[in-house]
This record gives sequence, structure tokens and C-alpha cells, in this order.
Amino acid sequence: MGEVVSHGLGLARPGWRANLEVVGTVVVARLKIVARYKGVILMEAFLPIVFAALPILLGVSIAGGSEKAATNFFNATGTENYALYMLIGASTFMVVSLMLWLVGYWLRREQESGTLEALYLVPTRRIYILAGVTTYAMIRSLTAFLIAIILGSLIFGVNPFSGNVLMAIAFLGIGLLPMWGISFLFGAFIMKVKEANSVIQLMQWVVAFLMGVYFPVTVFPPLLRFFALIFPPTVMTDGMRGSILALETLYGGWYVNFAILIAMAFVIPYLGYETFLRMERRIKRNEGVGQF
Amino acid sequence: MTQPIIKVETLSKTFVSKERKKGQRKRKKAVQALKDIDLEVYDGEVFGLLGPNGAGKTTLIKCLTTLLLPTSGTAWVNGYNVETQEDLVRASIGCMLMGDRGLYWKLTGRENLNFFGALYHVPKSPRLQRIEYLVDLLKLGDFVDRTVETYSSGQRMILAFAKSLINDAPILFLDEPTVTMDVPTARELRKIVRELNEAGKTILYTTHLMHEAEELCDRVGIIDHGEIIVLGTVPELKASIPHEDVVNLEGIFPTYVVEELRGLEGIKTVAVTAEMGGRSRLDVLCENSRLMLPKIIESIAGNGAMIEFIRPQEVTLEDVFVVKTGRTLDVDTRQVVVEGKGGRGR
Repeated sequence: MGEVVSHGLGLARPGWRANLEVVGTVVVARLKIVARYKGVILMEAFLPIVFAALPILLGVSIAGGSEKAATNFFNATGTENYALYMLIGASTFMVVSLMLWLVGYWLRREQESGTLEALYLVPTRRIYILAGVTTYAMIRSLTAFLIAIILGSLIFGVNPFSGNVLMAIAFLGIGLLPMWGISFLFGAFIMKVKEANSVIQLMQWVVAFLMGVYFPVTVFPPLLRFFALIFPPTVMTDGMRGSILALETLYGGWYVNFAILIAMAFVIPYLGYETFLRMERRIKRNEGVGQF
Repeated sequence: MTQPIIKVETLSKTFVSKERKKGQRKRKKAVQALKDIDLEVYDGEVFGLLGPNGAGKTTLIKCLTTLLLPTSGTAWVNGYNVETQEDLVRASIGCMLMGDRGLYWKLTGRENLNFFGALYHVPKSPRLQRIEYLVDLLKLGDFVDRTVETYSSGQRMILAFAKSLINDAPILFLDEPTVTMDVPTARELRKIVRELNEAGKTILYTTHLMHEAEELCDRVGIIDHGEIIVLGTVPELKASIPHEDVVNLEGIFPTYVVEELRGLEGIKTVAVTAEMGGRSRLDVLCENSRLMLPKIIESIAGNGAMIEFIRPQEVTLEDVFVVKTGRTLDVDTRQVVVEGKGGRGR
């Protein structure tokens, strides 16, 4: 092999600085692209409000008034503030759902438009491109979350700053890290099945169900409860609700939830990325990433 | 110029696909796209890879650019192994493989170049200088700050070409770069390719256009059914079919006329390319075109055929292909099925 000559890498200067720049460049490019589709982010922000409004109104009508609804809800959850409970659930679900959607659709769209193959021709490791895309997804979903919480609080007349807001933000921040890993897993799956719509539709409802958007997961039967409890978005939402509404968390103390989320933040992204790389290698052994 | 910068050793690639026939169960089918390819591309040359659709050109390029993993055998690009040093291989090459696909349509041309420059690890300051240089070199100034969705297909191709140059890599892979370009733009691009080569870049160029290959390539490899069947300089290849001339005919030629022509003494091969409206093109290889021309006309005329155009021509690369395969380059070839069932790619 020594006979093959080498002429260096042209203008390329690999290293941590270059990798960091890749993440930034991907984020900026994705934000520019979405900004050129007018009104998308604003529309996304209204979705959680609608998601929360449906069960709130349904609950009030079934209970026969908002006071009765609050009492019933208190018996099941430990808080009377059902509107804020559901608004937090719906808005967090929006963050989780958008992260899966955006990564899944990103991969699929890149595959269809031919840019995925172009991304596989660059020397940048996939982890940095994925980090850029998931960071963009995070920025976009957190923007929608923030707008939804503010608008939703005004519409439903609740105060989102009533409890320990800083702790809730910490839960959201840490909880997003395992979401990275889940979106890598999701991306690997989309790359293999080469279809995003039906998978996303299904996953959306499964996620909403498992993370207890409208109800505490303690109402589940034991097996389902087990799966809900090891699902990072459930732990994240529970921690946020516990912080804002002063509720006892699923695992007892807030610190247990927090510790579990931290552990998940280390393990799940690693598992997700490894799965993604294995899937990618498997695809490159046969049809190649550009085939769709 | 005798040291290889790309080296391919007994490289094979087998795809496994699922065959669905009506009324039958789905079954796996292994298709061998590349068969034990051995190839060296020398440092500083323009190497032309020619072959009809489905011959294995793109698969070979995809293996060399790390988009696909070989089933067996291996390759080195710029001293790096395509399987174990993928990142370094990719940092060593500039690619234009899928025409104008591979660009972000909602970004401007400049934003695309900046995006891919960053992904090629080109630091910001040289990247911006490089973009300006490419804008001047390829005359992108009129449209580079518009979003790509507003470009013509030719403008998108030029931008894709610019993208392949953003990292100033020592090796360029250009897959049919002039397709969809107008004639002056294609000519200009070929001129730039030649200049880049003179500046020291090694270029692997695939094309269907024989005149492009003849104009640009130092050496040419013809690939067919996953094998390199001919390799050499253009004059060497032309000289490899001595004492043979080609007569081109266009018109309407019934099958029995073609068969009769093939049976004529002095005719070596007759390649048929179907065209629109029942018309076809015949490339007739014979020992001496001057001597054979009257016999060819006599055999065809008054036999239910209609000749619209006839011309004896010099030996071209396409004739080399015709002699070696019995077909023209316009004909799609099918890849070789190696197994009826089972089998997995590596």
C-alpha cells in the first residue's frame, strides 16, 4: 500500500475547532432554511395550546364545572391546577415530538433531495452533523415551547412561574439530552425503513401516551407503568410538573428523578449513536445511503 | 506521472435486492455490480471511466468515495484505505457525483458553498477567500446570492462543480459534470478541468460523451458488466483495433437487413442503437470502409430499408467499445446475477 502517493488534504484542517464549527454551521443553515418558510414556528407554538385545551374542556364538561373538575383532578394527581398540569404536559410533548419529527424528517428529506449523499461525502463525522441538527431541533422546539407556555398561560389564566421554575428548566435541559439519543435511534430506523410519515404518526401517539401528557402514568397497569417510568420524556415531564406544581415525583424525591435523567443523558445518546452508526454501516454494505 | 494516487485491488461489489414477481414469493437476488476490479489511477492524470448505464461506473466511484463498502477487495485513495480511513479519504477528494442534487435549494449558492466548506473542515478565513475565488473562476457572480431554487439546471450544475472545488482537494471525482449544461458552459468547464489538472490535481472523470473523454483524458478505462475490459491512453486504445474502419448509418433498418449485413464478407460487427420512431443507428465495423461502402449500400438499399445518413468515420473511443463488447455505449447493460437466492453483502 505504501506505493500509493499522498498529497495532503487540500484546505481541510480537521480538529475540534473544525468540528465545533460544523455544529454551528449546521444549526445556522437549518435555522435559515426554516426561516424561509414563513410562520412555521409560530404555528407550531399554537399546537400545544390546542392539545391542552381539548382535555381541559372535556374534563370540565364531564365534571360539570371547573371547581368540580379541579377537585376530581386533585384526587388523582395531588394538584387542582389541571390547566397548568396539562399545559406543561402538552408543551413538553411538543418539544419531544418536534425533536423526533425534525430529525426523522430531516433525514428523509435529505435522502430524497440527494443532500444526504453529499453529507456522506464530507470528512465530518456524523456525530457533529447530528449534533447540529438536534441542536437546531432543540432551539426550534424550545422556542415553540416558550411561546406555547406564555400564550397558553394567558389563555387558560394560569401562572407558570408559581413553583420552582429554575428546577423545571433544569429538568427540561437535562431531559433533552436523552432525547438526542432517542432521535438518533429514530433516525437510524427512518434510514432503514425509508419512510417517515407513518412512523412519526404512530410514534407521536405512543410517545404522548407513554409520557402521560394529560394524566399521571400511575394510572397505568404495572407493565405499562414500567415502560413509562423508563421513558426519559416521562421522567422529564414529571420532574417539571413536580417543580412547578409542588407535586411528589414518580420516583419519590426530585433528586431521584434528576439522577435518573442524568444517567439516561449519558447512556441513551451513546446507545442511539452506536445504533445509528451500525445501521449506517449496514446500509453502506448494501444499497447505500442515497437510495430511497 | 507513474505513481498511483488511487489504487483498487480485486474489488468486488454485490448488491442483495428483493425480487417481486407477480404470483411468486418474494426472493432475494444477489447482483454483482463489480467483479474483481484492479485499477491504478496515476498521480496528476485525468482518468476517464467510460461505460454504458448499469456497467458499474457509479458503483466503483461510490466505493472509492466511501459511499459504499466493497463486498471484497479494497482500495486506497491518496494513500488512505477506503474502509478503515474513510474520513481521510473524504478529506482528500472533491466530488460532483449526483449532478445538481446535493444542494440545499432554500439556501443561496454562497451559503451552500460556505456550508459545505465548513463540513470539509476548511477554516473560515480561507473558506471565504476560496468562495470568492470560485465565484470569479466559474462566473457565479450573477446568481450566487440567490436561493438555489431560482437557478436554471445549468446554473445548479456549475454550483455543484464549485462545491466540489471548495476544499481544494488533490483528487476530484467528476461524474458526468457537463450533463444539462449548454455547449459554451460545458466547453468552459472542460477548460477549467484541464487547468485544474495542469495545476496538479488528479481527476477521475466519467462521461458518456466520447469527445469529452478524447479531449480531456490522459488514460481511459472502459467498464462493462462490472469489469474493466479496456485500459490505456486514447491513442493506445484506438491503435488496439487496427485496420478497421467504421461506417455510421442512420435510418430504418429491418432486423433481416441487419442480419444480412452481418453476414457480408469483410464486416466485423454491426452494433444497433434504437432511436425514436422506428429509426436506428448502425455502427458497422469493417476491414476497409472505402472498399466496403458500395457493398454495404447494395446490401441495404432496395431491401425494405431506408438510409437517411451514411458516413465512414475514423476510429473513436466508442468504436473501441463496440469492438470489445459488440454494443454501443448508449445501450443499457444489465448487471450480472450471481445467485438466485440468499447471500448477503458484506
